[in-house]
Amino acid sequence: MIFRFPIPLAVAGLGLLFIVERIPAADLPKASREQQYKEQILPILQARCYECHAGSEQESGFRLDTRHRALVGGDSGVAIIPGNPGESEFLRRITSTDESEWMPPEGERLSSSEIALLTDWIAEGASGLPDSIAEQPTHWAFQPISRPTPPPVDSTWPHNAVDSFILDRLRQETIEPSATASRETLVRRLYLDLLGLLPPRERVTTFIRAGDPDAFERLVDELLASPHYGERWGRHWLDLARYADSTGYESDQPRQIWAYRDWVINALNRDLPFSDFVIEQFAGDQIPNATVSQKIATGFHCNAMFDGGVRWEAVIDRVNTTGSIFLGLTLGCAQCHTHKTDPVTQREFYSLFAYFNAGYVRQMDFAGNLVDPPPSPVDKTTELPATTLIMTYSPSTTHLFVRGDPRNHGEQVTSGVPAFLHDLETRDDQPSQRLDLARWIMADDNPLTARVTTNRVWQRFFGLGLVKTENDFGVQTPLPIHSSLLDFLSIYLRGKPTHPIHQWSTKHLHRLIVSSATYRQSSHIRRDLLESDPQNHWWARQNRLRLEAEIIRDIALDAADLLTPKIGGASVYPAQPDGILTGRATPAQWDPSTGEDRLRRGMYTWVWRLTPHPHLPLFDAPDGVTACTRRDRSNVPVQALTLLNDPTFVECSQALGRRVVRTDSTSDSDAIQFLFQTCLSRLPSQQEHKLIEQLLNQQRQTLALSESECQLIVGESSLPHISLTEQAAWVVIARSIQNLDEFFTRP
Amino acid sequence: MNRHLHSTRRRFFGTSALSLAPIALNSLFRQQSSAAEIDSLSGPLQARTPHYSARAKSVIFLFQTGGPSQMDLFDPKPALNRRDGEDFPDEFLKKVQFAQIQEKVPQIWGSPYRFSQHGECGAPMSELLPHMATIVDQVSFVHTMKTDDTNHMFAELMMNTGWRQFGRPSIGSWVSYGLGSESQDLPAFLVLGGAPRSKAANYGNGFLPSKYQGTKLRNSGDAILNLSNPAGYTPQRQANSIQTINALNRIRYEENGDDEVAARIASYELAFRMQAAAPELLELNKETPETLRQYGIDDPARPTFARNCLLARRLVERGVRFIQIFNTDWDHHTALATSLPNMCRVTDQPSAALIKDLAQRGLLDDTLVIWGGELGRTPVAQKSMNPNEAVGRDHQINAFTMMFAGGGVKRGSTLGATNDLGCVPITDSWHVYDLQATILHALGLDHKALTYRYQGRDFRLTDVHGNVKHELFA
Repeated sequence: MIFRFPIPLAVAGLGLLFIVERIPAADLPKASREQQYKEQILPILQARCYECHAGSEQESGFRLDTRHRALVGGDSGVAIIPGNPGESEFLRRITSTDESEWMPPEGERLSSSEIALLTDWIAEGASGLPDSIAEQPTHWAFQPISRPTPPPVDSTWPHNAVDSFILDRLRQETIEPSATASRETLVRRLYLDLLGLLPPRERVTTFIRAGDPDAFERLVDELLASPHYGERWGRHWLDLARYADSTGYESDQPRQIWAYRDWVINALNRDLPFSDFVIEQFAGDQIPNATVSQKIATGFHCNAMFDGGVRWEAVIDRVNTTGSIFLGLTLGCAQCHTHKTDPVTQREFYSLFAYFNAGYVRQMDFAGNLVDPPPSPVDKTTELPATTLIMTYSPSTTHLFVRGDPRNHGEQVTSGVPAFLHDLETRDDQPSQRLDLARWIMADDNPLTARVTTNRVWQRFFGLGLVKTENDFGVQTPLPIHSSLLDFLSIYLRGKPTHPIHQWSTKHLHRLIVSSATYRQSSHIRRDLLESDPQNHWWARQNRLRLEAEIIRDIALDAADLLTPKIGGASVYPAQPDGILTGRATPAQWDPSTGEDRLRRGMYTWVWRLTPHPHLPLFDAPDGVTACTRRDRSNVPVQALTLLNDPTFVECSQALGRRVVRTDSTSDSDAIQFLFQTCLSRLPSQQEHKLIEQLLNQQRQTLALSESECQLIVGESSLPHISLTEQAAWVVIARSIQNLDEFFTRP
Repeated sequence: MNRHLHSTRRRFFGTSALSLAPIALNSLFRQQSSAAEIDSLSGPLQARTPHYSARAKSVIFLFQTGGPSQMDLFDPKPALNRRDGEDFPDEFLKKVQFAQIQEKVPQIWGSPYRFSQHGECGAPMSELLPHMATIVDQVSFVHTMKTDDTNHMFAELMMNTGWRQFGRPSIGSWVSYGLGSESQDLPAFLVLGGAPRSKAANYGNGFLPSKYQGTKLRNSGDAILNLSNPAGYTPQRQANSIQTINALNRIRYEENGDDEVAARIASYELAFRMQAAAPELLELNKETPETLRQYGIDDPARPTFARNCLLARRLVERGVRFIQIFNTDWDHHTALATSLPNMCRVTDQPSAALIKDLAQRGLLDDTLVIWGGELGRTPVAQKSMNPNEAVGRDHQINAFTMMFAGGGVKRGSTLGATNDLGCVPITDSWHVYDLQATILHALGLDHKALTYRYQGRDFRLTDVHGNVKHELFA
């Protein structure tokens, strides 16, 4: 086929219009085309363009020295469209008459013969540009996941493959792993990690006494099957999902989305494969014949803060959240510019933006009907009808925001994925949609999602990830020490088609990790490691981890036998100090819950983003503004004041004190043992016993002098037939135990 | 360390019924962990050395929430009165961004208030601020403050966190992070007063460790959340309980060697000392009647801006690093002539008293005092939707006034000028980032060097902006 190419080109420097009319040598052999590139094109590019548009220091994200980037272009548009010079931004810029945009910006304009050569070259397919991927070593995290074999280690220490990787490295460093933690510690560790609850006293005893080698695995299976597992790991997920019960910003309107929270709990409990878990949350509405449950799952991206009319901020947040929690990449920088070290260009950022720009938050009832939101802000205590927020699709055009400024629309972009990763599989010729993006995220070709997810799981069990920057797997993140283990676990999570039951099974991965000898190590600091590995990069011990805001309250309630174990439902309003909600632009209600809802797990507490329950930020719960991939574990005096003096924790100490005096303990020793076993899952040492006894007897003496003090300490629910002094003394003791660092730290 | 409070602490430890317990706790703390050891962990803050030596050791930010009307208070514009009622000129319509005014062409509104010159410097002051007029020779005014957003919430966040959205650390957190604490008994960053529009985000720690967050001194109930012992717990009982808790913690610490336990022990120690120090801080009846009169405090228990100003001085004396008072609210879109005098009545006298008081006690040189809000107001009138309500002024972000004192700031100086309508600067602007860079500079911190790595990036309060305005300093 021969085609002619009459392109009018206005060459500003010459100020005249001329017609390029050439016969493209489309049927030249490939070798000659590459030769033409080297001899005729490359010299022009090198002389006139490379200074700014090659190597790592490119202007506007545009580089001409690799095929991919030359084709994709920079911030201002698709640069080179092979076979279509008329539509190529590259050609438009070198022939532009507008001084603010012509290229090159300085020096002589390109000559008409140079322009003609370049035009021809593009028309013929722009051959010859080097393929960057093949030529430059790819950042480790972007490479396909390897399938490492656990290194052989001659030792009886390993329980499973995890340990082979760990021990192999420790041997290289001539470091021995730590001893296995005591059985009391292990059962407590497992309960806190998998359920966020205290092990019942009896369960500790049976586990310690169990002689069979399978007792540990049995306990793990038992806990993985508990409905509270979904709560514990659900809350971790809700941190990523920036879940809250209000819209945020100054207006901070209430909204009903707890059904999404319950969907997460339920999905984890039934071990919904992680791939489906993600796809349903991203695009449950677009799955053919979507169920109500799958639509509820799309609440994930409805969690973004929302400020009345300003929608683009929520859309930006959806892009950033996606980057942070699945790709381990900070995409936010690309909102304004392309950065030379970032794999995602500004235009690619807006291609991702396009997916979410076509998503609209609607309200749905539990029968699956879309229902209109209430006409005015709910400012009274009226019960909201049971609804939830879901994502729906509606086509929408997306423009790049020039320098990130939403008022300054640049080029129109269509949905698409960053080119540095695998290709997107689309369903038809239409622009791809959220469902395609979700499948792309979960595709086997994507090395990032499995790595980032697995790393976060490790972080939950050990305090830090194998990659310490859990939300940054970008090019500046060095290869982690345990990259092979990370890959092994990622492949393990992904599973094999031959074992479909274990494909993307979160529980399967959790079982493997907690069963490892590495996980079971003591968390005691070792002097020999303080110098060689103070940060515990080699995992020659476990880490002690202060528990999360919600869990600290949960276990205080649990120890006091006050906790309502009910799972799910509308959010609740536990007691909080006065004045938390004053001065809000939108009035907020906080009618303290009564009955069983008063003492639910912390994850069910209603969260006003603007004015959260004060315990939450105090103990580092996330603010729900953006995805939180790791909570801080701060240690400040106001935490001590709260655990000592806050009415909720005081109530727990009263109830725990009552528990102690109600037991059949015949002696102080029995009672002290009961307290230790209940709260700390272990027996006291002699020294500890003595300290408690001292305080107990001292309190008996002082309390005997004041019945009114006793009554105040014991509270309203004092027990008849038992001396008030005795009850009060035990409340003081219970309160002290609940304030021990050990009580609210995972061992 | 603490400037003059040793006597106070001695008084507490020496004479209270608890004398034995706290000293015992205290000495145990000292034996267990050195200051440096504790501070390397998540425990309480210790003082840190700034980047370079500086005058200011602490900051009092008198944050005037809502945006005071600069042309009615500090920056007189006679042209507004001459041209009162005229259409706002076209050339400025393009340059001035309104928040609420819907009219195509609003009208110029002259100030209802008289100005006169004061002090040796001759700075003009509105008749609404007779007390502040007496301190003009001790302060500097900047009339060309500039911010980016006409929305209160975003402008507040901009001023306090350097970012128009939620999620960034506040300036007080950055300062605590950079300089640590000089107080053994109180948090490094304390917040008083009303609630700004974007609430706790204005004094939050953002992505910095949460030990750098501002602690709110509450207006009702406990001054600090859960400061009071539960009913039935005498101070002695609390002391005995904490002693036992920490003795048990110490046993575990010896066993597991985790410094987090040492930090926990220190936290409980500090919590206990705060329980003693905070009520003592609030004992304003210990101040002389003359001092209370100076500030205009009738009832020391009533939470007022005046009381908070006096508390700010007491906090500075106790080594607190960053004190921020939110004085709500100056957002006078309508009925300005009624609301503004009221707001000035509660603000004027204590603002002046604080600066005089600090100066008199030799604390002003070490303390940077900042007075101003998140934005300014328009030279044109905003009409109320309610025809019976008088006019006010809308938001203006091109140029507004802030006042500075102490911490090496020039005395009796005025920087920056606006055009005769007070709506655009005619000299260099002070962008919020410049202000933040300058505040950090006053404390010896280089705003470009004070960074924190988060999500793969080194963040600063001033992002990639900000110039230190050296001309502010003597």
